[in-house]
Amino acid sequence: MRRLLVAVVFVVAACAPTLLSAAEATDRAELIGKLCGDTASLGDAGRALTGIAADGSPDDRAWAAQLARAVIDRKLTCDAKGAAVVLSEGSLDALSRTPRTVSEAGRTPLLSLKNRALFETADAALALRTAPDVARRAAALRTLERQASSLPEHLLEAAVGQESDPALKAQMMAVAQAAALNSPDPAKRIAALGRIAATPDRRALTQVRALLADPAYAANPEFKHAVDAATLTISRGIAVGDALATLYSGLSFASILFMAAIGLAVIFGLMGVINLAQGELIMIGAYITWLVQEVIRQFAPSLLDWYLILAIPVAFVTTAAIGIGLEAVLLRHLYRRPLMSLLATWAVSLFLTNLVRVTFGTQNLNFVTPFYVTGGVPVIGDFIFTWNRMFAIVFAILTLGITWGLMRLTPLGLNIRAVTQNRIMAGCLGIPVRRVDMMAFGLGSGLAGLAGLALAPIYSVNPQMGQNFIIDSFMVVVLGGVGTIVGTVVAALGIGQVNVLIEPLWGAVAAKVIVLLMIIAFLQWRPEGLFAIKGRRK
Amino acid sequence: MKPLASHHAFSILLAAVLAVALLLVISIATPFGLSAYVANTVGQLAAFAVLALSLDLIWGYLGILSLGHGLFFGIGGYVVAMHLLKHSWQVTGKVPDFMQFMGWSEFPFYWAGFGFFPYALLVAVAVTLLISGVFGYVSFRSRVGGVYFAIITQALVYVAMLLMFRNDTGFGGNNGMTGFAVVFGWPIELKSVVIAMSAVSVLVLGMILLGCRLLLESRFGILMIATRDDEVRLRTLGYETLRLKLVVWCLSALIAALAGMLYVPQVGIINPRLLSPELSLEIAVWVAIGGRGHLIGAVIGAVLVNAVKFWLSAAAPELWPFILSGLIVLVVLVFPNGLVDLAKLKLVRPMGAKRLSSETTELH
Amino acid sequence: MGVALLVDTVTVEFGSFRAVDALSLAVDFGEVRAVIGPNGAGKTTLLDVVSGITRPKQGRVIFDNATDITRASEAAIALAGVRRKFQKPSIFEGLSVHQHIVIGTQGGLRRSLAQGALVERVDEVLDVVGLADLAHRSASELAHGQKQWLEIGMVLASNPRLLMLDEPVAGLTEEETERTVALVRRLKRSDRAIVVVEHDMDFVDRIADRVTVLHEGRTLFEGSMANARADERVVDVYLGR
Repeated sequence: MRRLLVAVVFVVAACAPTLLSAAEATDRAELIGKLCGDTASLGDAGRALTGIAADGSPDDRAWAAQLARAVIDRKLTCDAKGAAVVLSEGSLDALSRTPRTVSEAGRTPLLSLKNRALFETADAALALRTAPDVARRAAALRTLERQASSLPEHLLEAAVGQESDPALKAQMMAVAQAAALNSPDPAKRIAALGRIAATPDRRALTQVRALLADPAYAANPEFKHAVDAATLTISRGIAVGDALATLYSGLSFASILFMAAIGLAVIFGLMGVINLAQGELIMIGAYITWLVQEVIRQFAPSLLDWYLILAIPVAFVTTAAIGIGLEAVLLRHLYRRPLMSLLATWAVSLFLTNLVRVTFGTQNLNFVTPFYVTGGVPVIGDFIFTWNRMFAIVFAILTLGITWGLMRLTPLGLNIRAVTQNRIMAGCLGIPVRRVDMMAFGLGSGLAGLAGLALAPIYSVNPQMGQNFIIDSFMVVVLGGVGTIVGTVVAALGIGQVNVLIEPLWGAVAAKVIVLLMIIAFLQWRPEGLFAIKGRRK
Repeated sequence: MKPLASHHAFSILLAAVLAVALLLVISIATPFGLSAYVANTVGQLAAFAVLALSLDLIWGYLGILSLGHGLFFGIGGYVVAMHLLKHSWQVTGKVPDFMQFMGWSEFPFYWAGFGFFPYALLVAVAVTLLISGVFGYVSFRSRVGGVYFAIITQALVYVAMLLMFRNDTGFGGNNGMTGFAVVFGWPIELKSVVIAMSAVSVLVLGMILLGCRLLLESRFGILMIATRDDEVRLRTLGYETLRLKLVVWCLSALIAALAGMLYVPQVGIINPRLLSPELSLEIAVWVAIGGRGHLIGAVIGAVLVNAVKFWLSAAAPELWPFILSGLIVLVVLVFPNGLVDLAKLKLVRPMGAKRLSSETTELH
Repeated sequence: MGVALLVDTVTVEFGSFRAVDALSLAVDFGEVRAVIGPNGAGKTTLLDVVSGITRPKQGRVIFDNATDITRASEAAIALAGVRRKFQKPSIFEGLSVHQHIVIGTQGGLRRSLAQGALVERVDEVLDVVGLADLAHRSASELAHGQKQWLEIGMVLASNPRLLMLDEPVAGLTEEETERTVALVRRLKRSDRAIVVVEHDMDFVDRIADRVTVLHEGRTLFEGSMANARADERVVDVYLGR
């Protein structure tokens, strides 16, 4: 009896694959039959292929992989024996994948537009599950994204499960979520909504908004509630993100303004000299940064990414030296003639701009973007915390710290403050006023050079760039009050933020106009600026 | 600093101006005299001289440095350009280039009436008075002066330039406006018309020179100088200097606008570069080089610097910025009062002591 | 004739520094009042407030019971009849001596005197200050003492009803100081109040009816010069040091 049972089991087991394969073979033969049928059956075949991609065995998938593409590329020929895939080296039977010949009477199925779309989807679905390289799978995902709502449920989930590349996996999950949003099961939809609301951005909002037209929105109160809640969460997230983005952008602009203006403020407070060449010193700082980059590229290419850091002392010292030279040769004769020094420094600015133009040409310089200022961290909504702006902000804070420290804690700083407040008295007390002038001018110019370095990763660098900053720097000095660090900081922040707030609404020009008008209005109330040192008429 | 260098020098200059005007008139009527090209250059130089005079009036005699006078120059220039284009269209029927570029077939509504010159003139005066009046009042009332004022005027003209660069304002955008065909009914290309325009410029220069001189010798002129030298002292003597400054400021703006109206027809084009901060700064350079506070200094400075610029832009255009910057540094260091100093041989040794009296006027 | 100048609890601050601290003061018409005190006591700041150059943080200043100085502009205050001679000779370097006096006489954009009266008055003032033969010289050519006189002349020309002199004899020779004493005595009138800020005690002795001593922005003492010299606090703070 036992021997009989074993024999029956054996026979069934031996027959099973044949039976199964017969079932499969029926499925496959049926599929081939459909491929060679009319438009309706072609449509069925397309859907079936997608179904194989979703639910079929790995074998089936591998077998079906080339079929969709073959039909689209018109490489499938139907004849009396079934169908064959025509390749460059010969034809293979579509069912068995063995070589055979194709009769001339065979015809090539033609895809209608609708069917074509179905087959493209099928091809992509199959590729997603079977293609060996990431690029092909990524391309397939992009194609499938557009049809996300009509895909079989399991397809993307299964693909996610089998995906090895983490980035692509994440993308797939996003698409899967979008597909889940259109799942027939309301619970799945609500779950999908929750997941989407967790990463609020404008894309998510569009996806969720689309559901307002969905029939379930009107019919299912639970669903309606979920959609409304998701919309609210996402909108809030976007609003927060936008606010942060504006703040961040304004902060980085203010940082540049601050660095450009602090040198100007110190010099003006000290000597009453408005240095119209300040913009050009910024420009020279940027050019020196570029030169350092080129030198490193030539002699130590492995250190190339560090050029920004290595250029810091070079830029500072060079521009400080230029500033000191300017003071010693030209400005020390003009310290009591602020209007003449205005013209003289403008002459210097003209000279420097044209010197650089003649030497380097008028084109923008190319800067390598080092890894530490590339890319950014997405935070919330559409706001990305970019590193290049962070670099400028950090740099400005360091500059502020160093300047403040210098002014408050060193003898030079004390001398500068003394001479700013009462030049004659300071001289009588034995402070070497001329030398203080020189050092302060060097400091102010060096700071401008650093500003040029900090903005090289953000703005375009060319001989005329100085002129873009000089007017804004003036406005900061005029608004903030002369010679005060606090005033410069506050004014830079104010002007930077206002500029960034208005620009997306009415454009850059309107922003400048409004800032100027606001400053003029402000000066009505406080003509000496925000924080100037008040005194008696002497 | 005397209000006028000397009556002698002034009379010589005035005579020279009138002589040039006469020469130009002769050139129109007879085949002798200046060529159209030379006359045109002279006419442009005269317009610049008028512009320099407008700045000298407030800087040399009131002590207010404006680095934005290009704004008023530009207002006059744009208004006259609008008139010329409208007028040309009325006569020839040809639509201006900039409108074709934008695809417009009709003039924007605010161009209405510009074909009629007195209306255009009225608009120029009104706009100039409005802008200079408001800006001057606001600034003088809050006692913004000296370097602050100069910087704010730079910002003002910069903003105006940015506005004019926009292509959708109906003023030609960054290409500006050109293609003036007819002036007061006469074709603008005609030699006699070119020379006539030049003669008008030179005559206007003479008139403005004379007018300024009369103003400065009047009671008003004396008060101007007092305001420049010690405004607080004058106020505490009972004089409302705000009104005084405002009047002269607006007058200066009007003269600058007039200069613009003389310049643009002769150069044949207007574009926003006229509103660049650099040009407004250059006006101060002309006056500084010639010597401010002398009227003749402004004229000489403007003519000299621009003549050199014209010559160089043909001969060696790359050199001009370097020469200009060198010239400015030279004048500022060695001739602090401009070329007028040269005439009086009052050179200053850069390291030596300077007369405080010529410095104190700058302290505010 | 009554109170010419009434200063009522005026406080002036520059940032955190209090230059004038709840100061009250009254000067009558016909009086010559000297305001003395050490440097930084607030004397010049007080004059700045009365001329309208500085606005006080608190307090009121009334001239002739009619003009609220704390609310008026410098020009309006001057038109009411207040004149001040500054500490540093403030003249117009670009104008002639004659033109200075003309400006001083006319006192306002509107012409106040007819041509004949104007000429007369200008000549008169030039005589008083002794600059008649320098009438057409540029003011930039004058010596320091002459500049002082020019400013005095300019300030006198309109017959001010409140005249403030800020250190009128600083830097003058003995002879010039004598002339100034004589001038102040001559200027004393029943319809005019004169306030003088000075450090020269002899000069103050000879011209002042009463003396106000300021210290750290407040009134330390008010009375005759003799009593001031005898007052302990005054001696301690100012005269005796």
